[in-house]
Amino acid sequence: MKRVIIIGNSAAGISCAEALRKKDKEIKITILSKEDYTGYNRCLISYYLAGDIKEDKLVYKPKKFYSENDIELLLNKKAGRIEPKKNQVVLEDKTRLDYDYLVLACGASPKLPEIKGIHKKGVFGFRTISDAKGMLELLPITQAACVLGGGLIGLKAAYGLKKRKIEVKVIVKSPQILSQILDKESAGMCKRRLVENGIEIVSGSEAQEIIGEGDCKAVKLDSGKVIASSIVVVGKGVKPNIELAEDSGIKFEEGILVDEYMRTNIPNIYAAGDIAQSYDPILEKTAVNALWPNAIEQGLIAAGSILGEPNKKYPGSVGMNSVEFFGLPVISFGITRPQDGFEEIVFKDAQQDIYRKIVLKNNVVKGAVFVKRIENIGILLKLARLKVDVSGIKDKLPRPDFNFAFTKDLQYDKEEVYI
Amino acid sequence: MKKLYYDAKKCTACKTCEIVCAIGHSPSKDLYTAILEDNAALPSVRVYAGQDENYPMACRHCKDHPCVSACIASALRYDPKEGLLFDKEKCVGCWMCIMVCPYGAVRPDFRDSKSVRCDLCADIKDPRCAKNCPTKAIIYVEEKAINV
Ligand SMILES: Cc1cc2nc3c(=O)[nH]c(=O)nc-3n(C[C@H](O)[C@H](O)[C@H](O)COP(=O)(O)OP(=O)(O)OC[C@H]3O[C@@H](n4cnc5c(N)ncnc54)[C@H](O)[C@@H]3O)c2cc1C
Ligand code: SF4
Ligand code: SF4
Repeated sequence: MKRVIIIGNSAAGISCAEALRKKDKEIKITILSKEDYTGYNRCLISYYLAGDIKEDKLVYKPKKFYSENDIELLLNKKAGRIEPKKNQVVLEDKTRLDYDYLVLACGASPKLPEIKGIHKKGVFGFRTISDAKGMLELLPITQAACVLGGGLIGLKAAYGLKKRKIEVKVIVKSPQILSQILDKESAGMCKRRLVENGIEIVSGSEAQEIIGEGDCKAVKLDSGKVIASSIVVVGKGVKPNIELAEDSGIKFEEGILVDEYMRTNIPNIYAAGDIAQSYDPILEKTAVNALWPNAIEQGLIAAGSILGEPNKKYPGSVGMNSVEFFGLPVISFGITRPQDGFEEIVFKDAQQDIYRKIVLKNNVVKGAVFVKRIENIGILLKLARLKVDVSGIKDKLPRPDFNFAFTKDLQYDKEEVYI
Repeated sequence: MKKLYYDAKKCTACKTCEIVCAIGHSPSKDLYTAILEDNAALPSVRVYAGQDENYPMACRHCKDHPCVSACIASALRYDPKEGLLFDKEKCVGCWMCIMVCPYGAVRPDFRDSKSVRCDLCADIKDPRCAKNCPTKAIIYVEEKAINV
């Protein structure tokens, strides 16, 4: 009987296991996780931190999912090394597991800056349920918290802590927050909303040291300023967990390189999710687009490859994000801060906080940012993925009343419901 | 499964579908009470004007359903017989589904931070929009019965 080992019990790993089991009742499936928790909705930990949802809503797959699908789940087991020549995974506790197929779905980890005190108690990366629980435990003794970095995860943590009535300061080096996903205008709108709701943004500085005896007590900035804070959240982006692959002969750049079947350079080893670097049809090169939907879809494709379904090809991953801070929803995808050679079409109603920008290149949609009026952005994402020439309707794209009827003449939609 | 199909030429954009949808999904299910209710439902179908045609737009329960993989709260599921199934209680209003729906068939309800989409009137198993369309521009038939 063939055995698949999946390293990673989250979006990519679970969707892969579920799809495998649906088609193949025989194959032996083992999932490993270094965490001690059943499959959970990682993206919801900020909602949990904020108190918007209870712990039960974090559960993505309860334990019975694994038993019902005959999936062996090994929690608290960290894979340390892969030996492709022997078809073995070596766990940190030295156990060796044999596989016929291996799926690397081990995600990503927060990047921690190398500053003094970064490993003190009270400093969190905000990636796991135990990070969220650790922060909640400290709430009773916490008055102020610092978030290092103005990225999405850090700001989500800031939002969660603020909702818990903690004083929050966000320390950002660059003048713009959310610079990975938003343009200056939309980021400014978000920043205003955060500030209006009591989150302080300290721009132009960087943390230099975490101060405290064992426990974190304050953050020292490069400006010399010291900010009291018993919780520090590091939101400086994530890094694919490629250490496992390092001496194994598996090829990687930022993430593990995969083709459109989620295959690595080693025939029976696949990668999916935040760890994988796959083709991005908007950037027209490979990229790590570390997002839940991409992880789910890549897990499904990896399963298809293992099952030998060559017609299931991955159309590629796109960078896309949806956030809402204090009632201001923002969605963006693709290229939002273009260089030369791109065209930008904008609709703006500053009074109502409405902003809709489309980025084009040679009449093909390359990106978009919608603030407040977020509806119908998915149509543009589809047009971008299919590289449809939109010259005929270009000026209408950012209009708040833009909808599917505007695109009828482009005739790219295959699944017809109109007769 | 049975799906909704729309005859864009027959549709006169009278918006009866929008009204019966909103009423049918409102707590009271009654026109006169529903218009006074603060929590009256938003219609999950909307009629968009084209050049000579009008396009009613609602969730197509499409085969690809990218919204299902996008949902970060596992509130969406696809069943080949029943179509897209939405567990409203689990929805956290992250709007990921709006981000990926290629038709713009989902809308946000900012009042309760829940997304709104067509459920084919699961309560009565007979979509009210099709039943009430005065020009019969909306039909509800087996997928195989239609050849578009
Ligand atoms: C606070 C927060 C909010 C987010 N919000 C969104 C959002 O709104 N939308 C969105 O699209 N994405 C969001 N994301 C990103 C999303 O969570 C990830 O893209 C997604 O979880 C990736 O899934 P994955 O399966 O690739 O890996 P992960 O979810 O990172 O899971 C990795 C798995 O591998 C296991 N593992 C790792 N290393 C080892 C090892 N050596 N041995 C054994 N097991 C190992 C881990 O225990 C875990 O089970 C958010 C993330 C965070 C942290
Ligand atoms: S919401 Fe959109 S993507 Fe999801 S099933 Fe309906 S039409 Fe398809
Ligand atoms: S808005 Fe609700 S249904 Fe849509 S993706 Fe988010 S949680 Fe899922």
